[in-house]
Formats: sequence, structure tokens, C-alpha cells
Amino acid sequence: MSPRVFFRVLAVALLALTPLAAFGHGATPQKVVETMEIDAPPAKVWAVVGNFQDASWLPGVVKWEGEGGVTPEVATRRLYLSSGATIDERLVQYDDAAMSLRYLMEHVDINVLPVGNLSATLKVSPKGEGSLVEWKSRFYRAFPGGNPPERFTDEIAVQAVTNLFRSGLTALKAKVERQ
Amino acid sequence: MKEQVFAAVLAISAVAAPARADEAFVANQTGDDLTIVELSTMTPLATIPIGGKPAGVAVSRDGSRVYVTSPEGHFLSVIDAAARRVAKKIETGGGPLGVAVSPDGSRVYVADMYGGGLIEVDPATEATRRVEIGAMPAGVAATPDGKTLVVAARDDNALVVLDAKSLVRLARIPVGRHPYGVTIDAEGGRVYSANVESDDVSVVDLAERRLVANVPVGSHPYSVALAKGRVFAANQYAESVSVFDARSLKPLATIKVGEYPESVAASRDGAVIYVVNWFSNELWSLDAATLKISAKAATGDGPRAFGAFIRAVN
Repeated sequence: MSPRVFFRVLAVALLALTPLAAFGHGATPQKVVETMEIDAPPAKVWAVVGNFQDASWLPGVVKWEGEGGVTPEVATRRLYLSSGATIDERLVQYDDAAMSLRYLMEHVDINVLPVGNLSATLKVSPKGEGSLVEWKSRFYRAFPGGNPPERFTDEIAVQAVTNLFRSGLTALKAKVERQ
Repeated sequence: MKEQVFAAVLAISAVAAPARADEAFVANQTGDDLTIVELSTMTPLATIPIGGKPAGVAVSRDGSRVYVTSPEGHFLSVIDAAARRVAKKIETGGGPLGVAVSPDGSRVYVADMYGGGLIEVDPATEATRRVEIGAMPAGVAATPDGKTLVVAARDDNALVVLDAKSLVRLARIPVGRHPYGVTIDAEGGRVYSANVESDDVSVVDLAERRLVANVPVGSHPYSVALAKGRVFAANQYAESVSVFDARSLKPLATIKVGEYPESVAASRDGAVIYVVNWFSNELWSLDAATLKISAKAATGDGPRAFGAFIRAVN
């Protein structure tokens, strides 16, 4: 199942449930680390992922807007997904020399991505003749209490973020290597 | 005056107590186990399976027992520290997270994050008592005389002070936003809370039950340790430890540490500060005087070790 189809199926399944409060999360922080080798120099990759205001490389994002450039704590962006949902993110760290940035997901419809308090780091490093991109994140499942419903477990949250990162890195690789 | 006495006591104890081979009991939440690290060489000694996504740790004063909470498994593990094995598991229900032991070792106090209460456990008989705290109780600490308990009611932005014997509420003190870890100083004079959402540490006078100050630290502080008249806060998002003077409350330093540090604790002689880095699966030690990183040890996956995780070995 492609990540996009996965999200659509997930969204339909989750919409049937009683809406949960967006506030709060589980007790166990989760981690996801995904990497991708790209056959292009690090600077060329960083030119794409380092442009926080341009999210065109992310699959499923049909429109984006933002302000604040790449100034930590100031820069924000809103991603409009093909499903109609939106994601609000804030840049909190930006190191141009190290080719690394970190952002927080400040708002997301948990029917689209069943997570809370997500922070993520994107880093580009040299690898042989090309680049290695690492995308890693700390987050919680969206359900705030113990014994979450089946669709809001830690495992579902990890699966959703893993799929998001894998599809994002695959699309990034295709875009940069095409350029 | 109190702070001067505090500093003097620390100075004397630093001279009187030479470094011993103490141990860290690091609960690995993602890994579902616990790593014991020998601290003089920073070497992992053993791994104990725990289950239930362990997070909170409290070592008894005599070092014989280590208590570990499992919020997803809804139980408290009692570990025989010398034998390095789980002696028993006690069902608590709810979401046990923060944990503290009475100085005489006869009572264990468990914050029930999901249920909003504090559970007192008699580890010998497994008898329990419960008191309501508020929204999302996180950290818990007992004063050195064992008479008073302090619990962080995270989502109420307050510390709740209880009489340990009766479990009667003595005070509710508003602090910064989302207090998580709570640490009480060696003389029971002040309590410090790391406030995750307001990026500061609240300093509270326990006798007067009064907020002294909110001291700015780095982004998303989770816990506080005290040594050498200094306050050390682990900043999870900033990936640093903020240091400020316990008396003047003036900032002293910001030390870069590993990825997503959560828990911080001092050695009993106050010479070393230990930092648990959740994302990079490491325990780091730093010199409390020079503020330099001294050593690193590997832990299991997703170490939390939320609480007093250092075991004194005599």
C-alpha cells in the first residue's frame, strides 16, 4: 500500500471514531529514524530540504504557505494536504553550515496523523560521492490516557510517521536526482 | 543563610565522601528493560527485563531496593539492587510514572498520571492508599526527613504539597507551565520543578510554601539535579543542561549534551552530574565543578530514568 493510500484508508477508518481532544498524549515517547542515500551533492539536497517555506517536495502536500524565512522560533508553515487537512509547523533550530533543521508540528488533525507533540530533525550529510539524509522524530500517540483504542496505539502512530518519512524521502530523492 | 548552610554542607560532604563505585539504574522505556551502569568506569553491567514501558525510577536510601514504574503495564517493579533482579511486581492500575521512596524505605509513592492521583505503596505488604492530586501528576519527591511529599500536577501548572503520614494536602503552589520533574534540596528547604512548557525552573520555599522565582532555562526542561550549590536542568529540545547558582539564581552555563536529554541526577558527593539522553541512548557524566563532559555510556533504547536513579554502593 502506498503511503498516500495508507493515509486515506487510515483517515476513513479514524473518522468513524468519536473525535478525541487534540490536547494531551500518551506516556511513552516514540522515536522514528529514517534515512535515504541520494545521488547528489549535499548542498543540492540541502537547497531543497533547507528551504523551510517550500514544502513542494513532500508527497500529498498540494499547497503551502508560511512566513519568517528560516529564523528559528519565528518561521512557520502551513501545509495543505490533498485530503483537505492542514498541518502547522514551526521551525525551532536551523544550522545552515551543519545542514540541519528541526521543527515542531504544532497542529495536525489526528485523523490524518494520529500523533501529538511531534518534533523532527532533518539533516543532510556527505556520503561517498553523494548525500545521506536523516529524518528523525520524537512524538507521542494522540490518545491521552492509558489503554488507547486500537486505532490510536503507539504502534499505529509509529507506523504513520514511518510511512510519512519514507514517502517524503523517496520523493525527495526522486526530485533531487531528476534535477 | 539557609543557602550558605546548604553550600557548607555540600562542601563538607564533598571532602568526607570519596568517590565510590556507585551505579545508575536507567529504565529504558522503548526497550522495555533497565540498564545498570557502573559509574566509576561508566560501564554497563547488566540489563534487566522490566516490561510495560518503564519510565520512573527511585532508589532507596540504603541502596537495597530500586523501584521502577511501568505506565503502560500499570505496575511497579521492586528490584533487588544487589542481586540485579526483579523481586516482585505490584499492580497499581492507572498510569504510574513519577516515583519516590520514603527515607526509611517503608513507603513508595507513585504518581498516577492517567488517574490523577498519588498512590502510596507499602512494598512489604503491597497495601496501598490513594490521594487525589489533579491533572496529570508527573514527578514526586519526599523531603529528607520523610515528613512531606511534593507532587507536580503537570496540567494544573502547580505543585501539590502533602503530609506524608496522613496524605492530607497542605498546599497547592502555582508554578510555571507543565511542571514535570521535582527535586528537593538536601535540607528540605527548597523544591525545584522543571517546567516543560514555560522553559523555566520554579524555585519554591517549602516552609513558606511560596514561589521564590521562575528561573529561565533552555527549551523543554524535564528534570532538575542539585550539586555544589548549583542547579542543573536537562532541556529536552535544546539538548543541553542549564546551570544556575542556587543562591543568586544567576545563570552560570549551558552545556551541550546528547539528543533529547530528559533525566538528570547528581552523585552523592555532588561531584558528578549524570544525564540520560533519550534519543541517542546514552548516559553522560559531567563534572559539576568544571562543567565539562567526562564520560559516556550506552544504555538500552529510549532511556527515561525519570527520578532519583543513582544507587549509592557502600
